[in-house]
Amino acid sequence: MSAQPARSEVTESSSSLRQFWHSGPAGWNRALTRARVLVPFFLAALAVPLVLQYVEDNSSWIGAQYWTLILATCAMYACLAVALNLVVGYAGLLNLGFIAFFGIGSYAYALVASDQIHQHYPLWAAVLVVSIVTLAFALLVGVPALRLRGDYLAIVTLAFGLIMRDVVLELDRPPVLAGHQVGPDGLNITGGTNGIHQVQPFNLPTSLPLLGPVPHYRMYYWIFVGFLALCIYFMLRWRSTRTGRAWVAIRDDELAARAMGVNTFKYRLLAFATSAVMAGIVGMINAAQIFNAFPSPNFDVQTTVMVFIMVILGGLGSLPGAILGAIAFTVPPFLLQQFVFYKYLVISIVLIAVMVFRPEGLLGTVSIRPRKTMGGTLELLTAESAVEASELPAVTDTEVADVEAAAGAIVEDPEWKL
Amino acid sequence: MGIFLQQLVNGLELGSLYALIALGYTLIYGILELLNFAHGDVFMVGAFLAAGVAAVLVHNEVAAVPAGLAVALMMVAAMGGAGFLGVGIERVAYRPLRNANRLAPLITAIGVSLFLESAVQVWVSPAPVLVASHALVPQTLLHVGSIATPFTGLMLFVVAVALMVALDAFVFRTRFGSAMRATAQDREAATFMGIDVDRVILVTFFLASALAGMGGVLFGLHYGIVDFFMGYLLGIKAFTAAVIGGIGNIRGAMVGGLLLGVLESLIGGFISTQFQDVFVFLGLILVLLVRPQGLFGQPLTDRA
Amino acid sequence: MSGGAAVLEIRGLTRRFGGLTAVDNFDVDVREGEIVSLVGPNGAGKTTVFNLISGVLRPTAGSVLLLGRELVRLPAHRITHQGVARTFQNIRVFPQLTVRENILLGTHHWTRSGMLGSVTFWPGTVRAERAAQAEVHTAIDLFRERLEARLEDPAFSLSYANRRRTEIARALAARPKLLLLDEPAAGMNPYERIEMAGLIRSMRDRGLTILLIEHHMPLVMEISDRVVVMDHGVKIAEGLPKEVHSNPRVVEAYLGRRAATA
Repeated sequence: MSAQPARSEVTESSSSLRQFWHSGPAGWNRALTRARVLVPFFLAALAVPLVLQYVEDNSSWIGAQYWTLILATCAMYACLAVALNLVVGYAGLLNLGFIAFFGIGSYAYALVASDQIHQHYPLWAAVLVVSIVTLAFALLVGVPALRLRGDYLAIVTLAFGLIMRDVVLELDRPPVLAGHQVGPDGLNITGGTNGIHQVQPFNLPTSLPLLGPVPHYRMYYWIFVGFLALCIYFMLRWRSTRTGRAWVAIRDDELAARAMGVNTFKYRLLAFATSAVMAGIVGMINAAQIFNAFPSPNFDVQTTVMVFIMVILGGLGSLPGAILGAIAFTVPPFLLQQFVFYKYLVISIVLIAVMVFRPEGLLGTVSIRPRKTMGGTLELLTAESAVEASELPAVTDTEVADVEAAAGAIVEDPEWKL
Repeated sequence: MGIFLQQLVNGLELGSLYALIALGYTLIYGILELLNFAHGDVFMVGAFLAAGVAAVLVHNEVAAVPAGLAVALMMVAAMGGAGFLGVGIERVAYRPLRNANRLAPLITAIGVSLFLESAVQVWVSPAPVLVASHALVPQTLLHVGSIATPFTGLMLFVVAVALMVALDAFVFRTRFGSAMRATAQDREAATFMGIDVDRVILVTFFLASALAGMGGVLFGLHYGIVDFFMGYLLGIKAFTAAVIGGIGNIRGAMVGGLLLGVLESLIGGFISTQFQDVFVFLGLILVLLVRPQGLFGQPLTDRA
Repeated sequence: MSGGAAVLEIRGLTRRFGGLTAVDNFDVDVREGEIVSLVGPNGAGKTTVFNLISGVLRPTAGSVLLLGRELVRLPAHRITHQGVARTFQNIRVFPQLTVRENILLGTHHWTRSGMLGSVTFWPGTVRAERAAQAEVHTAIDLFRERLEARLEDPAFSLSYANRRRTEIARALAARPKLLLLDEPAAGMNPYERIEMAGLIRSMRDRGLTILLIEHHMPLVMEISDRVVVMDHGVKIAEGLPKEVHSNPRVVEAYLGRRAATA
């Protein structure tokens, strides 16, 4: 597809595998997100629990349920990684409070599907409520915060995440402000450190035609995989139309994007809000799956960090990468249970190593590597420095070159007679 | 009125701790435009180093050496250890990304923070560790009228302020200090002026981390207990203080720290201890939205 | 080929950065179908004028009218929608997007295609996307031989000249009424410069009004209907190329007082 000149492989009819290798991360991503790869992948993914059940029924091995649960967790984190990839990889926003939206989704669902406040909504209404609530929070944080520069945005989102965590932990009793109790005596909205229990699962059939009875764990594995497929479909559609192009343009060069008519604030907000709602729905599915909404890990910053490392390792901007990252950080911890104590230690070391040695991760298409830029004094010459330095590519070299070129053109060109 | 003054005093003590750590954030941000998320955890490591020295020197509630010497040793260990840790972090994790996209070192800093927390949790102690402060410092309660404060609280305040004054003198009255300020303003121009930027950055990290380490010692002696997670929350609050004062501005960090400590105490005393932290974070968000340059910072450049 | 309605009217445009006045009381008119060149020594404020027109910077004072519409208060992306497209001094194509996608970005402001429509294959959205793709075809018309083969290549893999062409095609795809070209011939060899001159003329012949910044004097002389000279933020001369060429103030600005009186 891409014309790499001066490579004999292109003219030879070499193995397509070698061509694939040489096409680089962009090419790998393109190849891996084609329908003829994704459709079989998801069909296979859906078939896995059935295969496991078959093996279990016909051998002495018992692990079908255990492994289906692990894979369901994996699929859940893959959804979160795809959502985080949207906000960090596509829109370039460091949402450090990301997990709060997952938590908000889980608690919002728990509140309309349990006895906590005695509400029991049907599934469609619950989805609506979760989406709207998550969207509302996303706008509340996003509209003011997205005007800020990258590192400040990171802090605001982090603060938001911490606030939500504290609020959820403290709202198991009526708050007391300045000596006055706010709310009735028995007020218990979030269940505090215990969370909300006895959350109703989705009202779904417990057996399907041709497939027979479907146990709870298998159903939720399928729901997560289905939602993952939906999210990936959305991302691919957006990427190949105006919205995705605008996102990549903003990420690549915000100034130029604005100059081409892209309302960067609006698109940032769209990415931020969409990512939040995705995370919220994943939270909802999780609450239904485990019948509970817990403050930890649902609001823990370490969970955000874990999803971050999945996206970074897999590669910013890459959907297959997000899935790979999710697998890499959910399956091994399960396999190596005795080392779970070391989990965050290993995760943090991997994150640092990836950032230092290969910030693009495995399949990443976003370049956050060191540039040769310098910025600083010479930018003042162009008076473009009023716009933030980080938005400009290396202006300095051009300026120096232009002074020389201009001088040369005037003095040496025979046309310019004095 | 009595409560107000008491909270004020508490706040100033808490605030001086925030100020010490906030200085570190602001020094590093000023020179590298990097929000060093791991800084709070450097403070935590300093506290553990001090606790370790204390554990070695104190047996059965009695110090093996004169208390003053023990405390001095703890301070040296904490400041030196934290300082070198900071330098090491800069070398390994931040330097390779020095010219990268601004978000890259931020992500790495998050990783370093998590690493320090996990490392201490796994290799030192997952449970809180006691510091035998009663064997090392007087436990007396000092009174002025109806206001009381433990000796360690006063010590915290006095030592912190002394260090801040020393740092201020160093940055604003010495040659190396002006090299630091020059590098913070314009790294490239500083190299043209013959300043060894790498060395400046190194020293800055050492100083910032050493201050945090000292904060760790004072914290350990005052509260008597340290745990692997203490740096996280304190770090964020100290960062809030730095932002309030104007990130990158040294005097701003000092004022911001004291101010935040007082505000937090007053809010805790008069409004709610439950949601104390929530108010602090709301304050952070408010400052960033309304006046991101803080009290003493320069207005951020004009975005059309 | 000049004359006709004024497409761009700038009055009293001023931009100060603290103590530095980068652009001082700048006036200029550009009429429909004209090619006007903005020249001057480095640091004269030419790119700042472009930044002020396109909304990257907000003026301290003054007015910029595009076909009678005031641009000054508008955010950059709305200015593009009003009909201004530009290229940059140090070429700013989107490196991770293909040539095709870069040019499609130019169509962004006039394409009605959103998130919901994309995932549901809403007919309006499908039509809009198709129209945008068709525009790519039109936009590369002037450099078909060069860019057509490279349409699906990521922009970072392109040669300097091809990047320049992509940037221009992208600007054309925005269907502008006024095209701002910032040093279109920078970094080019003589053959490429000749091609660029022809290109600029072709664009004008298709109905575009062009304001360009350029340092290469022969090119400026050859294609401009009028030349405007700036120095230290101030307009110091304006007129036909030949007039400006021999203006002593202009020579002084470039080479210093002694050269002017020599």
